[in-house]
Amino acid sequence: MNEPIGLAALLAHPANGGLRVVGGPEQGDWTGVVVEAAETELPEDGAGRLAVVTASPPLTPWQQDALVRRIADRGYRAFAVSRADGFGPGTRALAGRLGITLLHVEKPMQLAKACWQLVEGRDALTLSYVRKVSQSIQYPAENLPDLLHHLSSSLGHGVALIDAEGVLLEAGGALPATVHAAIDRAAWIDLASVSGGAAASVRVDSPSREGLRLVVFGDGLGDRQLAALGVAAEVAMPAVAARILIDEVAAVNDASSSSGVLRDFVDLRGTPDADVERRMLERGWRTTGYHLAFRMIGRSRLEPFQLLRLVSPELGRITAASHATTSGRGVTGWLTFTEPPSPEQTERFVSALRTLHGTVRRSFNVATGVGSLASGSAGLTASLSESADAARIAVNRSSTGWFVRVDGLGVEQLLLAWSGNDTFMPAARSLLTPIEGAGGDLLVTLTAYLDHESGIAPTAAALGLHRNTVATRIQRAQELLGVDMADPEVRLALHLACRAVQG
Amino acid sequence: MSRTLELAQLPALARGYALLGSGGGGTTTMLELVLSDPSRWPITVFDVDELDPDLPCLGAAFVGSTMLLGERLPGSAPFAPLIAAAERWLGEPARAVCSLEGGGLNALAPFTLADDRIVVDADLTGRAVPGLDQMSLLVDGVPGVIATCDTGAGGVMLVKTDRPPDLERVIRSAIVQAGGVGGTVFAGFTVGDLAEHAIQGGVARALGLGTAFDAHRAAALPELARALGGRLLAEGRITAVEPDLRDPHVNVVAVDGRGGEVHRLVTRSETLACVTDGRLVAAAPEIIVVLDAVSREALEVTDLTMSRTVAVIELPGPEWWSRSEARRRHVVPSAYGLADLDRAA
Repeated sequence: MNEPIGLAALLAHPANGGLRVVGGPEQGDWTGVVVEAAETELPEDGAGRLAVVTASPPLTPWQQDALVRRIADRGYRAFAVSRADGFGPGTRALAGRLGITLLHVEKPMQLAKACWQLVEGRDALTLSYVRKVSQSIQYPAENLPDLLHHLSSSLGHGVALIDAEGVLLEAGGALPATVHAAIDRAAWIDLASVSGGAAASVRVDSPSREGLRLVVFGDGLGDRQLAALGVAAEVAMPAVAARILIDEVAAVNDASSSSGVLRDFVDLRGTPDADVERRMLERGWRTTGYHLAFRMIGRSRLEPFQLLRLVSPELGRITAASHATTSGRGVTGWLTFTEPPSPEQTERFVSALRTLHGTVRRSFNVATGVGSLASGSAGLTASLSESADAARIAVNRSSTGWFVRVDGLGVEQLLLAWSGNDTFMPAARSLLTPIEGAGGDLLVTLTAYLDHESGIAPTAAALGLHRNTVATRIQRAQELLGVDMADPEVRLALHLACRAVQG
Repeated sequence: MSRTLELAQLPALARGYALLGSGGGGTTTMLELVLSDPSRWPITVFDVDELDPDLPCLGAAFVGSTMLLGERLPGSAPFAPLIAAAERWLGEPARAVCSLEGGGLNALAPFTLADDRIVVDADLTGRAVPGLDQMSLLVDGVPGVIATCDTGAGGVMLVKTDRPPDLERVIRSAIVQAGGVGGTVFAGFTVGDLAEHAIQGGVARALGLGTAFDAHRAAALPELARALGGRLLAEGRITAVEPDLRDPHVNVVAVDGRGGEVHRLVTRSETLACVTDGRLVAAAPEIIVVLDAVSREALEVTDLTMSRTVAVIELPGPEWWSRSEARRRHVVPSAYGLADLDRAA
C-alpha cells in the first residue's frame, strides 16, 4: 500500500484496532503501509512507511530495543505492534531517539484493514460507513436525538444537526465552533477541515425548517475519510429529515390530545371523573398535591403549537414537575408540588414563570397570567381558571409587562376579574378566610362597616353595638387580613368580597 | 617465562582479577587478607611450557556464595582435606597448582597453595563463569578429571563422571548441603593438558590490568579504557533494574547515557551483555566491566542499583573460548537461555 497515510487519520478511524502512540513522534505522515506477520518479513527498504507487525513482540527489554532499532534502521518511520504498551520507558525513549513512532495496537489485523480502507479501498471505506448508517436506521429511534445517537455510535464519529446560528443537536462529541464556522452552508455537500477538527456535512431538505445541515465530525479526519463520511451523511440525511417530520407530527398530535384532556378536565369544574383522571394520569398529570397554573396567550395572532414548542423546553429549566399543553389560542401549563411550597419558594417559582414569560416574549407577542397556589383536583381547576382570567387581564396590562398574577391577596386582580365567572368566589373566600374562621361577627361587622362608608358610628348604630366594639372588631379584621383599609382599591375589593361571600 | 611476584604486587594483581570478574566471581578482599602474610612471599609463577608436561596438577576454588566467606571465615587450609582426598584417589601427589577461575577471588586461590606446590600461570576460564561444567578441561572433554568438594562439617565428596553437567549439579547440591559456600578441587590432569585445554597467561594479564588501572584510575574514562586495552561502552545513570520474566537470576539494568543513549546491561552472575540503542555492543565471553563513574570502583552485578552513575568498559575476552564454536557456546549469553545476545563469532 504505497500511498500516503497519516497518523491523525488512522487515530480518527473508528475501527483502527485500538491504536495509540506509546513512543516517538506523536504525529506523522507516512508514505505507505506494510503489514507482515513477523518483523523479519518486512521489506528491507522501509522508505518512510508504517510497519504493522501482527505477531507479538519479544518480552525482554533488549529484544524490544533491538526490534525497534532494526525497523528504524530499515527506514520505517512508524511501527505498530500488539503489546507495545508493555514496552518500558527505555524502549519508548529509544523510539523517540530514532525518530520512529511506536504504536500500540490491540488488534493488528483490524488496523491493517483500516489502513487498507484509507489507502486503497476508498470505496470500501465509504461502503462500510454507508452500511453502518443503514444499520443504525434499522434500529427504531425514539426521536431525533436518539436517531443521531444511533448514527454517531455506528459511525464512530460525532454527528450534529446545525443551522446558521449554531448546533441544534449533537451526539458523540461536541462540534467545535471553528469547524462550524468553516462549514459552507450553501453547498449540498461540504467537506470542511480546520486545525481543530474536520466535518462532512450535507443540507437537510426539511419542509418545516430551513437551513439545517447534518454534520459528521471528528478530529484528525483525512480527506478520504471526509469524502466517505460525506456520502454517509448524504445517505443518512433523508432519515433525519423524515425523523424531523415524524417528530413534529407526533408533537402536534400529542399537543392536541393533551389539550383535549385538559379541556375535559376544566369542563368538569372539579367534579371527579374516573375516565378523565385516567387520561390525565396517562400523561403523568397528577391532580393530588399543590398546583400553580399559568396561561400564556397571544396578544396578536400566533400558532399555539409553535408557542408550546418554545415553552416546553424552557419550562424544563424550572426545578419543579411541570406540564404544558396548547389550549385555545395559547398555552396552559402548571407546576405541581407534592409538598406545599413555602411562600418564599412560591415567590421564586412565580419569578421563574416571569422569566419564562420574558424569554418567550423575545419570539412571541404574548401575555401571561399566573393563578394562585391551590391543592387537589379542585385546586388545579381553580388555579387554571384564575390563570386564564389573569391572562385575559394581562393582555392589556403593559404596565406589568403583560404579566399578571392572581393570588390569595391579589386584591387588585380580584377586582378586575369580576366579570361574571367562577374565579371570583373562591378568590373572595380565600381572601376572607382569616376573618371567617376567627369567630365573632367580624365578617358581618366588616360588611356593615364598608356599607356605611367606613363610619364607626353609623355601623354601631346599624348593628346595635357600642362604637368601641365596632372599632375593636374592624381593627382586628384589618390585622387578620393584613390589608391597608385606607387604600380605596383595597376597600372596594373587600367590599365586593364581603358581598359575594355573604350573598 | 617464570616471574616472581612480591607482596607489594598483590593489590594490583587482585584489582586485575576483579576487572576480569566481569561483575562476578566475588570480591578478592578475603583472599587478599589470607595472602597478606609476608612469609608467603615472594611467589614464583611458571608458564606452562617451562614445566614437565607430565607433572600432575590440581586447581582449587570456592564454590557457592562467595559473599558468605565474609561471614564464615575459611580456615587456614580450606582445601587441604579436598586435596588429600583427590591425591588419595589418584594415587599420586599433584605438585603443580593452577586456577580454576580466571577472574574474581578464585583467581587468587592457587597462591594460597604456593608453599608446597608449583604455581602455573594457567586457569580454566580466563574470566568469571558461574558453572563448574564451564571449566575448559570439561568443555574440551579431557578424560580423567575428577573433583572433590566440601559437604559440610568436614565432609568430603569426590566426583568422577564423564558428564560435566552431572559434576556441576552434584557439587552444587553438596555445597548447598555444606551451607552455601565451600571449596572444590579439580585434579587428574597434568600441566601438559593445560597447554591446549586451559587459558594461559592470566597472572600476567591481571597484573598488567591492575597496574594500568591504578596508574590511570583518575584519568578520563575513554583514556582509562584505552589504558586497559578495552573501550568505553557507556557512561550514565542507572534508571531501572528489572528482573527478567523467565529467569529471576537475570536482571536488565537500564542506563541512561549522557547523550541520551538507551543502554541495557544484561546481568546474571556476571555482566553478560551490553545493548546500546537496540544494538548489541558487547557480550560474553568478552569481559564487561562496570565501574562506579565517580569512585572508579569495579562493581559486582549486585552493586548495580538505581540512580548510580556508572561507566561500562569492554575488555577483550579470553581468546581460547573463540577458537571453536563448541567452546563458545558454553559461555555466550545463550548458554544461560538468553536470546538475541550472542555476538557473531
